[in-house]
Amino acid sequence: MLRRLSVAAFAVAGVCGIVASSNGAERPKGPAPIAIEGDASLRPWTRYPGWTTRSFSGFNSLAATASPPAGSQLRKLDGPIVGDPAIGRQLVADRSRGGSCLACHIMGPAGNADLPGNVGPDLSEIGGAGRDDEWLFNYVFDPRVYNPETIMPPWGSHGIFNDGEIGHIVAFLKTLKEPARFGNALDDPRKRPMPEEKRDNLDPLVNPGMWAVEKAQELWKTPGPNGSSCASCHANPDAELKTWAASMPYWEPRLNKILGVEEFVTRHAKATTGQTFLMQSDENTALAVYLRYLANGTPIHLDQTSAEARAAYSRGMALTTRKVGRLNMSCADCHSPEKGGLKWVRGQWLGQLRGQLDHFPTWRTSQQSVWDIRKRFQWCNVAIGADDLPPDAKEYGDLEFYLAAQNDGLKLNVPGIRH
Amino acid sequence: MAEKPRIKLPSQARKGEIIEIKTLVSHAMENGLRRDQNGVTIPRKIINRFVCEFNGQLVFRCDLDTAVAANPYLQFFAKVEGDGTFRFSWTDDDGSTLTAEERIIVTA
Amino acid sequence: MRMISRRDAMALGAFVAVAGHTGVIASPVEAESEIAKFSAGATPRTGNITIDLPEIAENGNSVPLAIAIDSPMTERDHVSEVLVVAERNPRPVIAKFQFTLMAGRAQASTRIRLASSQSIIVLAKTNSGALLMGQKPVKVTIGGCGG
Repeated sequence: MLRRLSVAAFAVAGVCGIVASSNGAERPKGPAPIAIEGDASLRPWTRYPGWTTRSFSGFNSLAATASPPAGSQLRKLDGPIVGDPAIGRQLVADRSRGGSCLACHIMGPAGNADLPGNVGPDLSEIGGAGRDDEWLFNYVFDPRVYNPETIMPPWGSHGIFNDGEIGHIVAFLKTLKEPARFGNALDDPRKRPMPEEKRDNLDPLVNPGMWAVEKAQELWKTPGPNGSSCASCHANPDAELKTWAASMPYWEPRLNKILGVEEFVTRHAKATTGQTFLMQSDENTALAVYLRYLANGTPIHLDQTSAEARAAYSRGMALTTRKVGRLNMSCADCHSPEKGGLKWVRGQWLGQLRGQLDHFPTWRTSQQSVWDIRKRFQWCNVAIGADDLPPDAKEYGDLEFYLAAQNDGLKLNVPGIRH
Repeated sequence: MAEKPRIKLPSQARKGEIIEIKTLVSHAMENGLRRDQNGVTIPRKIINRFVCEFNGQLVFRCDLDTAVAANPYLQFFAKVEGDGTFRFSWTDDDGSTLTAEERIIVTA
Repeated sequence: MRMISRRDAMALGAFVAVAGHTGVIASPVEAESEIAKFSAGATPRTGNITIDLPEIAENGNSVPLAIAIDSPMTERDHVSEVLVVAERNPRPVIAKFQFTLMAGRAQASTRIRLASSQSIIVLAKTNSGALLMGQKPVKVTIGGCGG
């Protein structure tokens, strides 16, 4: 099940036969040795324990195209909508259906007006806005017939709500004729203050993620099957690796893909000490934290000189606008200020791309563990109803490259601590 | 309780000074409400008591219940009158106790 | 243990009912019973307690909570025990603090888990038998789009 990583001959240019000895005398010159064959994470890739096991193979992922085509024609109604506004009022606040509507819209009394989002317009007075049943029905069924650029999910086309349920929702929308009344300013997304992260990432009494640094420092000295440890070649990581992580991820010609820190750790360990540190293992995550920790304070800056790196950037940028999942969303839909970025989805603030990478890997208080950026990508994918890819998927590499470029100049501050 | 507990307090203080003490210990604080992927409830296992003593005398005690977050953090104060040793102990539901000590020098 | 009088129980109950930010408590019986047990007959008076909680917690898994009771902490006048209750949690008691004169201050902080938006209620006993009470609401969001 687990494909063994086999080490190709050290694919190091211009080396005169120097190999890292177990006493760590000499370190080869040239590009770092990496295991070329095999995958850097488990195959077959299966979702993390506790995540939904539901398959989203009927919808686009970042790697596969599968979603039903966009609605192009209006659906005609047989007669006026027959629906129960009381049921509609519950459906619009149903968290098990991706939100649902309340995640992005203020809707009068729906959800007790408790922390609605403001990604979409305020619908509190939609009932008096002169929209007929057919317009309301079709907008909820598949808004793309009216607005091809919409970020709103196609609730009907993607089978999230059936026609009867959309009827209830429309019936509820028709009752909305007055501005929402909020219990306090915090409930109103237009008045809610933007959250500010003030915690000290590097205070071990604040951030349990700092234990990863200690764990990594122990791993650094632990010999692998080849008898050597990281320390054998990198005896003084504080000095030697003071800026390295800030230049990651990078285009790796030997693998024809972007390599991030985590995948580099897997392949480099395999090719040197012989240790197996698969992506998403505790050891890999600890070392990924540590390698950036060593470079804390260094501005993120990628090497984009090669044509391949620039192509990866373009692919990454395209991936941020690719619609995926049951909810039919792209990264940009939530994280670009022109769309949903810098707004509230329910009670959570949607940050923009810049400022999202300098603190990864991060301790997540809601998960009580450290997450790297690839796991965060996987989470976002599954949350909007798209299949996650393995963490070493080339698409995630391109995405990370593009994201890192948007964070150019920001200083590493790792491990982070977030919700 | 895998990793060493973190304790922050000054190594030195003046007589009569009130110092701040911060502690953090690694513990999942399993609240007995979670289920594993097979739907089986994960049994409760928390740190239910924290005690801080100075030279054998009780300074501060906390009885924790399941709503204290994982990796329990406790911050409190102590008034020091002379040199001595702080002793911290965390007791698990299973009866085991983790302890740590920190000395302090108190000047006149 | 002396049973609290019906009048005191109603006073406590009325206080706890008002403390909830919507006026209704999800687990009123358990929260009230824990408060009544701790109060042991004394009637609470508000004031002297400062509760530090964020107004919105991005998730309920780790919410910072700081409690300070204004007390000289002298032999003559000090706080002994403090009860912290989350009115809507599955188990309402969060923690009980015991302060001594050696603590110097009746102040402590920790991080807590909250199942939903609710109020935190703090009760403090003093050596003279007085019972102080304070409460503060906090909104808890549990993920933006179901995650």
